[in-house]
Amino acid sequence: MTRPVIISHEMDATWRYASGVAMERFANNLLERRIEAMQCGECKRRYLPPRPFCGNCRVPLTDWAPVASEGVLEAWTVVYLPIVDNRTGITRDGPYAMGLIRLDGADTTLNHYVAETDPACLKVGQRVKAVWREELRGAIDDILHFEVLE
Amino acid sequence: MRRAAIIGTGQTHHASKRDDVSQPELVREASARALLDAGIDAAAINAVVISSMELFEGRALPELWLGEAAYAAGKPCMKVATGGTSGTSACIAGYHQVASGMFDLVLVVGYEKHSEGNTQAGMAIVDPYWDRAVASGALGNFALSISQYMADTGVTEEQAARVAVKARRNAARNPYAHLQMADITVEKVLESRMLAHPIHMLDMCPQSDGACAIVIAAEKTANKFCDRPAWIEGAATRHQQPYIGDIERRLTTMETLRSAAKEVYAKAGISDPRRDLDVAEIYEPVTYAELAWYEALGFCGQGDAGRLIEEGVTEMDGELPVNPSGGVLSSNPVGASGVIRVAEAASQVLGRAGEHQVDGATTALATGYGVYAWADALVLRAMS
Amino acid sequence: MIREGSIRLPFAYAAGKSGSTYLRALQEEQRILGSRCSACDRILAPARSFCPTCGDAELQTVEIGPGGVLLAWTERPDKGILGLVKLDSADTAIVHRILGSSDVLSTGMRVQARFGDASDENPEDSLLGFAPEVADS
Repeated sequence: MTRPVIISHEMDATWRYASGVAMERFANNLLERRIEAMQCGECKRRYLPPRPFCGNCRVPLTDWAPVASEGVLEAWTVVYLPIVDNRTGITRDGPYAMGLIRLDGADTTLNHYVAETDPACLKVGQRVKAVWREELRGAIDDILHFEVLE
Repeated sequence: MRRAAIIGTGQTHHASKRDDVSQPELVREASARALLDAGIDAAAINAVVISSMELFEGRALPELWLGEAAYAAGKPCMKVATGGTSGTSACIAGYHQVASGMFDLVLVVGYEKHSEGNTQAGMAIVDPYWDRAVASGALGNFALSISQYMADTGVTEEQAARVAVKARRNAARNPYAHLQMADITVEKVLESRMLAHPIHMLDMCPQSDGACAIVIAAEKTANKFCDRPAWIEGAATRHQQPYIGDIERRLTTMETLRSAAKEVYAKAGISDPRRDLDVAEIYEPVTYAELAWYEALGFCGQGDAGRLIEEGVTEMDGELPVNPSGGVLSSNPVGASGVIRVAEAASQVLGRAGEHQVDGATTALATGYGVYAWADALVLRAMS
Repeated sequence: MIREGSIRLPFAYAAGKSGSTYLRALQEEQRILGSRCSACDRILAPARSFCPTCGDAELQTVEIGPGGVLLAWTERPDKGILGLVKLDSADTAIVHRILGSSDVLSTGMRVQARFGDASDENPEDSLLGFAPEVADS
C-alpha cells in the first residue's frame, strides 16, 4: 500500500461586503452608542439587526425604533472549546460566555459575549447591560460584551 | 405526481479520519454500495444529486470533482447545499425529480471529510456586519438554545445523558457507525469534558469522514428491482429566518420541524405518530435536540420528553425506537448525515438493517435539521 | 457602506488511492503514471480512480511520458509559463509549468519532464515542469 499523501493548504481569501441601507444606518448609529431596530408595519415585530424585509410578513421595512443598550439575558452558555476567529486566524481560548440578549425595545435577540464566565452566576431572565469600547468603529464589536446587573 | 420509492442504500464505515481515500473515492464507496444494494448498473442511473456543505470541504464546485465518482459523467447532476439539512434536502430533490416524471432512477449521495477542514471556523463565516465578530460555531449556538429549553421544560442533564447512552449503545450494533460504545453509561456522559455549558463531550455528535447514497426509483422500476420498496409517502422542507436571535426559543418552539412533520403526517395518514410510526431516524446533533424533537414531532406532549426517554419508549425494544443506527450522535459526516437518516429509515422499511433492524418495521420517519432551525421530514412505508 | 475582510481557513486534503500512487511514483521513482480505461481504451493523465466517461470501468495504472507534446501555453507575470502537455502514450493532457523562455515556445513542439527533489509532505514538487527538447541537446 502506497503511503497516503495529505496536502495541507491554508485558504486565505479577501472579501468586500456591501452593507445595504439598513445595516449602514445601524452601523453609523453605533458610532454614537445608539442602537435602532426596524419595525414591521404588519406584525409590529422590532428587528435587530435591521433589515430590508420582514421574512414572516414578506413586506419591506421602513420604520425605525429606538432600542436600549440594556436588556434581558434570554439564553446563555460558557464555551470551553477554543474557536478560530476566521477573520484573523487567531484562536479564542475558553472559557468565554455567550448570550442571546433581548434589548429593551427589541423583539429579536442579539448574540453577544457576556463578561461573567461562572455558570453558577448566569440565569435565563437576568438583566444585562452593554459595555462599550472606548474607540468606536461602527461595528457590532463596538460593544465589548454585556455585564450582568444585580 | 408519480409514486417513488427508495430501492437501495449504501454507506461508508464512518470514521474520524479516512486518509486512505480522496473525497471522490469516498463518494464512490457509498455510491457503489447503493447500486449493489439496489441491484442496478451505473448506466441505468438517469440523474445524480450531490449533497455537500459549502466551505467545509474546501473545494469550489465539489460536484465537478465528485460527479464522475457518483456515476454522473454525461448525465444531469446538481448539488444541494442547505446546511445540516443538505442531505435530507438532496433526497427530497431526488424524490421530486422522480415523482415529477422527469427521471426513472436517481442516485442521491452526500459526503463529508471533516478531517480535511476546520468546521467550527467554517460555521463562523456568517453575516460580516452583524454576527461574525461574535460567532461561537455550532456548539455555542446549540448551548445557547439549550439553556432556554432547560428553563422552559425543566429537562435535566441526566435525561439528556440517557439519549447519549441510547445512541452509542444502538451504534454498537451498526457496523457503519463511527462511535460504537456498548459500555457507555449516564455517569460516563456526565463525567465527560464540558465543551460548552451544559453540553458534555458525550452529549455532542462527533466529526466524521463518510458518505452515504440512496437510489430512488419510479413505481414501475421500483417494483421491477425490489420486492419491498420503501415508498416515499410524503416529504416536506422548511426554512426559517436568517439570524439565530430571530427565532423565539428555538428548541422549545421548533416551528419548522412541527410544520414539516404536520405536512408529511397528513400525506401519510398518520394521526398518532407514536402509535403509527414503527421507527424514526431523526437528526440530533446534540442530546438535548433529540428530546426537543420528540415534542416537535408529537411523540409526546410539550415538556414530556425527559419522561419519554426515562420510560424507554424510544429504546430499541420500546414502543417507538428512535435512531436504531446510533444517529448523528454516533456518526456525523455533515453533508451525508441527512442522507444517512433517510437511508437508515429506508433500510428499516426494506428489512435490510441487519443487527439494528426493528422487527417488522413498515412505516418510518426521517428528519433533517440545519443552521438555526431549518427542517426536513420524510415518511417511508412498505406496502403490505 | 463597504466593509472589507479576510477569511483564513486551514485544510488538509487526502490525495487518496490513485492520487497517492501518482505522487509517490513522482517523488520516489521520477516516473509519471496514468490510468488505462478498459472500456474506452484511452490512457488518462494523470493516474486517477475513475474514467470520466465510462463511470465504473476497470482502470489499470501505466507509465506515461516523460516526453510529450506542448498543445497550448500562456505566460502570466505572477505564475510564469503554464502549458497544456500531452505526454507520450497518454490520450488526455495535463497542465504544468513550462521551464525556460517563452521565446522558443511553439504549439506542437516536443517537451521533456524535469524532476527535482521534494519533501515527503509535498511530493508534487518532484515534477518541476516541462522544458523544450531542443534545450536538451
